[in-house]
Amino acid sequence: MKILAVIPAYNEATRIAEVVNQAKPYVDSVIVVDDGSSDDTAAQARKAGAIVVEHVENCGPGAATMTGIQAARALGAQALITLDADGQHDPKDIPSLLSPVQAGKADIVFANRFGQRNRIPMIRRVFNGIGNFVTFAATGRWVRDSQCGFKVFGARALKDVDLRMSGFEFCTEIVRESVQHRWRIAEVPIKVIYSEYTLAKGQSFAHGVKTALKILMRSFLR
Amino acid sequence: MIVTPYQIIAPLIALVAIMYAWNLVMRHRKTLWEAALWTIFWGAIAYIAIEPNSLDYITIATGIHDRENAVLVTFLGILFFIVFYLVMRLEYLEQRQTRLIRKIALKQSAQENGKDE
Repeated sequence: MKILAVIPAYNEATRIAEVVNQAKPYVDSVIVVDDGSSDDTAAQARKAGAIVVEHVENCGPGAATMTGIQAARALGAQALITLDADGQHDPKDIPSLLSPVQAGKADIVFANRFGQRNRIPMIRRVFNGIGNFVTFAATGRWVRDSQCGFKVFGARALKDVDLRMSGFEFCTEIVRESVQHRWRIAEVPIKVIYSEYTLAKGQSFAHGVKTALKILMRSFLR
Repeated sequence: MIVTPYQIIAPLIALVAIMYAWNLVMRHRKTLWEAALWTIFWGAIAYIAIEPNSLDYITIATGIHDRENAVLVTFLGILFFIVFYLVMRLEYLEQRQTRLIRKIALKQSAQENGKDE
């Protein structure tokens, strides 16, 4: 099974090489989608041995993820892992996330940051709870950690998925796709590493409200 | 009871919208959940058109009784539609721009990888 990792990255020059190097032992290739960064994210990723796809303008993590998916399809991927570029996901969790797909039990695997003891700030827990609720309202499917960027797409999901949302709403759109295409889903607890850096990169409350409104509006207007 | 043209046209439009939504479900382009939301929305519009008295509570709450207020509410509706249309256009343009940027990125990447080989 040809397994690729896709890492959407925006201004992550200080972290990207480490994330690429940690992910490489678990996959055949790593694709970094540089989403119009103003720093040398692309150069650092290339130096670390990743295949780099560069957006000329910042489009958002949803758009970057879909670009990575298309690049992976072109490279003949049979399974795909998406993970964040800021280092909050531990690539050592990749084998356990992959196992439901490799065993033929799931088409998509959602990581669950709340499934094991992780030191997650309360405000993050609240925001993720709201995100889960909005996702449920828009899709009718409850996923324990719908907003986590660490996911595995099996062959079927990789073939079907078509993300149109450019921003952080894409996580909800993936849940919607899983309902629409009737993918079998699995949820696997993972470790999460919150540092000052990852917390500083987090989304503001206003951004969260905007994302929630976009999700509800688009799910209604489709 | 006098049936107005609005009471015929609105339920017909609602019926077409609901049928369209379920048609999209059949073609796997809309989920059951979305079609259910859509049906509730258009069903409510049809019901209000057929049973305008069901909105009496709004009249009580807002005090809209006379024609001037009705005109005001109508124009608010038109403004709402214009904003809705603009939002849809913006969404469409944003998606188009993203597709364009993606195509350029994938083309450049394919060229670079071709060079490497």
